Amino acid sequence: MAYPVSHKTVFVLDHGPAMMASSKENIDFDVFNKSRGPGIIPLAPVTKSLWTCNAEAAVEYCRIVYDLFPDDKLVQFVASDTSATSLNSWQHKQQNVQKLLDCLVVLGPPGHKTDPSDCSIVHGLTHAVEVLCELTEKQQDVRLALEETETTLQNKGRIICMTSLKSDRHVQSLQEAVQEAIIQHNQLSANADSFMPLNYCELVFVHVRPVGRKSDSISSPKKSVSPLLSVEVHVTDSGRSVATKVVGLAQRHYELFSTTVTGIPMKEEQNSGSSANYDVELLHSRDVHLEALNSGNTEGLLIQSKEGLPSQSLTLKWCTPKSNIMELQNCVGAYRVTPVDVNSRPSACLTNFLLSGRAVMLEQPRKGGTRLISHMLASHGGEILIHILSSTRSVLEDPPSISEGCGGRITDYRIHDFGEFMKENRLAPWTDQNIACDPLPLQRSENHLERMTRVWPIAIGDTMIFNMLSHLDPLPSLIVKDKLDDDEVLECKKAIYHVVGMESRNEPLPVPNAGLRTKGSKREEQYRQMWTELETLIKVHVSNSPQHQKVLDCFTDCHKTDGGNTSTIKQRDEAIMELETDLAVKELDTFVLLNPSTK
Amino acid sequence: MPTVILLDVSLSMSRPVKMENSAGSEDYNRRNLAIHGINTFLDALSVKNKLEYVSLVIFSSLYEQLVPFTRDYILIKSTLTKLTDFDKTSLAIGLSGAASTITDEWGYSTPSQIILITDGSTGVGQGSLKQILETHKQMGIGDKDASFQFPCTIHVLCLASPQDPTIQASVSMYKKIIDIYGHGGEVCIPESTLSLDSTQKMFCQFFEEHCSPFHGVLECGHLECNIHIFPKPQVYSKSHDFEDVELEVCHNIKIVGFLDTSDVASPPFISRHLVFPLPPQTANTDAGASDEAIGDTGKIPSFTVLLHGSLKVENMVAICQVGSEWYGMLYSWADPHKKKSNLMLSIFEPGVKSLPWLGKFTHLAPHQIFTASPYGEDDNKTPFPVKITEKRSYSLNHVGWIKPAGLQADIQKVLRHARKLPEKMPHFYKELNRVRKAALSYGFTELLDALSAMLDRECRLLPGSAHPDAALQLSHAANALRTEMARDITQTITPMSTKYSSIINEAR
Repeated sequence: MAYPVSHKTVFVLDHGPAMMASSKENIDFDVFNKSRGPGIIPLAPVTKSLWTCNAEAAVEYCRIVYDLFPDDKLVQFVASDTSATSLNSWQHKQQNVQKLLDCLVVLGPPGHKTDPSDCSIVHGLTHAVEVLCELTEKQQDVRLALEETETTLQNKGRIICMTSLKSDRHVQSLQEAVQEAIIQHNQLSANADSFMPLNYCELVFVHVRPVGRKSDSISSPKKSVSPLLSVEVHVTDSGRSVATKVVGLAQRHYELFSTTVTGIPMKEEQNSGSSANYDVELLHSRDVHLEALNSGNTEGLLIQSKEGLPSQSLTLKWCTPKSNIMELQNCVGAYRVTPVDVNSRPSACLTNFLLSGRAVMLEQPRKGGTRLISHMLASHGGEILIHILSSTRSVLEDPPSISEGCGGRITDYRIHDFGEFMKENRLAPWTDQNIACDPLPLQRSENHLERMTRVWPIAIGDTMIFNMLSHLDPLPSLIVKDKLDDDEVLECKKAIYHVVGMESRNEPLPVPNAGLRTKGSKREEQYRQMWTELETLIKVHVSNSPQHQKVLDCFTDCHKTDGGNTSTIKQRDEAIMELETDLAVKELDTFVLLNPSTK
Repeated sequence: MPTVILLDVSLSMSRPVKMENSAGSEDYNRRNLAIHGINTFLDALSVKNKLEYVSLVIFSSLYEQLVPFTRDYILIKSTLTKLTDFDKTSLAIGLSGAASTITDEWGYSTPSQIILITDGSTGVGQGSLKQILETHKQMGIGDKDASFQFPCTIHVLCLASPQDPTIQASVSMYKKIIDIYGHGGEVCIPESTLSLDSTQKMFCQFFEEHCSPFHGVLECGHLECNIHIFPKPQVYSKSHDFEDVELEVCHNIKIVGFLDTSDVASPPFISRHLVFPLPPQTANTDAGASDEAIGDTGKIPSFTVLLHGSLKVENMVAICQVGSEWYGMLYSWADPHKKKSNLMLSIFEPGVKSLPWLGKFTHLAPHQIFTASPYGEDDNKTPFPVKITEKRSYSLNHVGWIKPAGLQADIQKVLRHARKLPEKMPHFYKELNRVRKAALSYGFTELLDALSAMLDRECRLLPGSAHPDAALQLSHAANALRTEMARDITQTITPMSTKYSSIINEAR
């Protein structure tokens, strides 16, 4: 059982006035003026503050995590200045980028007027430890489930602290503060309901400095401080680099891999007549490329990330989609993806194309020019997944055909009828959370199938009644219902009287051409068999409702079986007379026509 | 599953076996016994599970794949008659050889097994069992490189007498090896003194335990049919976050309802299996449905055949429950050459939420219970896919300015509308407020001033023919961006109401 550190991540953002310093990276925002002729002097470039770059990077980290792992990977933002402020909570509804952006607005940029000496990142770090001790919804569920077993939940988490560090000693003092905080909070949360001691915490410092500032060599790989705490320090320039750094961390923290989809044809923005090929880089779980990475068969496939991520990317070539590939693909895994640069035009083109419901096959270029379709991109219900298609030899090769096996030589299966049966038993999602469905929807589906199959001969030659549905309708489809109303009972009775009439007129039954496997070709025997089948059908449903009993009563009245003999004509006529009175009362006089023998 | 018979052909395998009551009969050596055992095993396969692929690999200090994966067991049998002796036992070579024959053929996801047939002598020096264990100890337990990166069990069938004094030590070493490779397996030794009989018995028992076919019952309400599922479904054993899951496929595969193929939309599966119908009485008793027997049963109606036919004609799938909170689907599958089709069972990842676009499996209801049919009056709608509740960033019009291009594109949008004032007034203010809000989120207040300067310039550059309202709105917006109000998220910059704009509104 794994209790991943990545379940809970706290971003501690330094919100002190020092963070309002410029990142020293100029951004030209006044571009595209060429077409407006000469004489326009572009406006001076803008620069972001260190705070802006940090906030952007942290939000980008969350965007990727929420896109790829919407359920069990949680992130909380903590701003630290003269005190610590949690921007969101572990609650599921607070775990989305929009919520974070809204909270960042309310927080605002670091205040110029705050006294720097009152501010400390320690506030944020100790608060981060406190929130890591808080149980998430998932952890509470798991703790409940585990109470039955001997094992106990392990509470682990990660703190990513974005700040500027002064020296190794500064790092040292911060990690001591965190260690101290863990010990304290563990004592406090030992017996609390919604809290739990931290079993392990990973502390990641991202030291950010303005672009061009001399390097301070405080970066340090991951090392263990105590069984409870490990620390690592990353150093990065501000500006774009900090986002690259933080996304790189996300790749490590969640074991992500990158795929570059190459050769996507796209209409040019300026010149809509022509099209050019673009590449789009996607992030997803590493498992997507397990086959290629395990086999070491990646020669010529791996490139350095084109979006500048500190990692490699596996290239897959876009295959122009065929219209509406609806057949089932041989898909052995599906994982969520998200574009590395979600705003770029090529990314938007690709995602919109997929969200519109089309699928794209991806091909691994292989040596020797052979084509290997290894993946498929497609969306389901508003999210895009990369599907792994099986590309190795299958043990299912060359099986004997189903027609060679048991039951394979029968040619009169009720294929069409069963097709209708399947459509009648199609499932639909019960999505309304507000209306309880009791019993569970799936149980109701099973109950439905159970009722529908109480009598269901699978071959045409096995049945009389299902070959003469035109005479019996709508009885067979009504009788399987769990309730019948009065009209439906009457419909069933009509059907029974109809066949009674047929028998009394000595009409032949529509026997299938193939002939019955069961004995008897004489008309009398055929009728006997038909009655037996009909009786079985009505009897298996008799306990569905009291109304069903009425149908059976009608059947028995018309067709009393005494020691295997069919009822006498007299008895039957009496029953029919009774019905006629019934019908007369109900002014359904047309029905009388069906039984001329009583005229 | 694909099976490698990994046969030890080192010199020690040619040691003769002392037969207790072998008065006058021929002498056997261990290799003869091995061949006898393998033949027993192959005979059982050909009767009961003839679709399994088997390969023959021999090893000593080198390895060689004598027969590639095949269903032609006679070929393996005849190859076995032509074996010769080689040098010493190097188990490391044998196992890595067997492993590469598997991954070359089947990749890294097909479950497979290696049946190692040896005599209990664990080798000496380089490549010996002892040495593998020692190297592993140095690398540390849980070292990923040591274990197989593909699901492959290792079974050791040891041709040694249980009375052999060294055998217990060997057995425990074999068990350690199986643990190191990490996918389980068993060590078998004959129950009694080494002989043809005890060898045969060991192989038979092994077959029954590990290679016998999977028989079950396919149910759809009251309709049912005995079935043979090939390949045998594996035990699902995985360590997930917060839970360990160990599940076995149940012998009753229960259909719970049906879906259109387009609605299930190529779902990922963890394994695929052919489903063959079996005649009613023979299931679970005698699986030996030989060809002749099938000839007789061909005329017995089988629900499986009916289901296959209808699924194929209607292009639908049957959703079925294969275990506790574990589901799969049945559908008609044609082999790549499209000549023959069969009923296929795809087993999904366990759990009720393993296919999010179908919602929870336990919440799939018969469509009759809905007040309005989810498939529409004329069967022209579908309730699938189930939409996700939280949109992903790529469908949210997410603002990201990490790259200058993102910022430039958003500014450009504002400018484009600015140049078409007053017609594009609503768009202009909408984009302006969108950029303003994002700037406030990221604490990027410098941008507000820059934007203000840019709008001032646009105002100055307006051609003489421009609508008077354009200049008014541009300078209004530019001024608004410079006020404290622009930094208050609860406020929105709204169009200035001018006599021109009211004229325009009236004209509309």
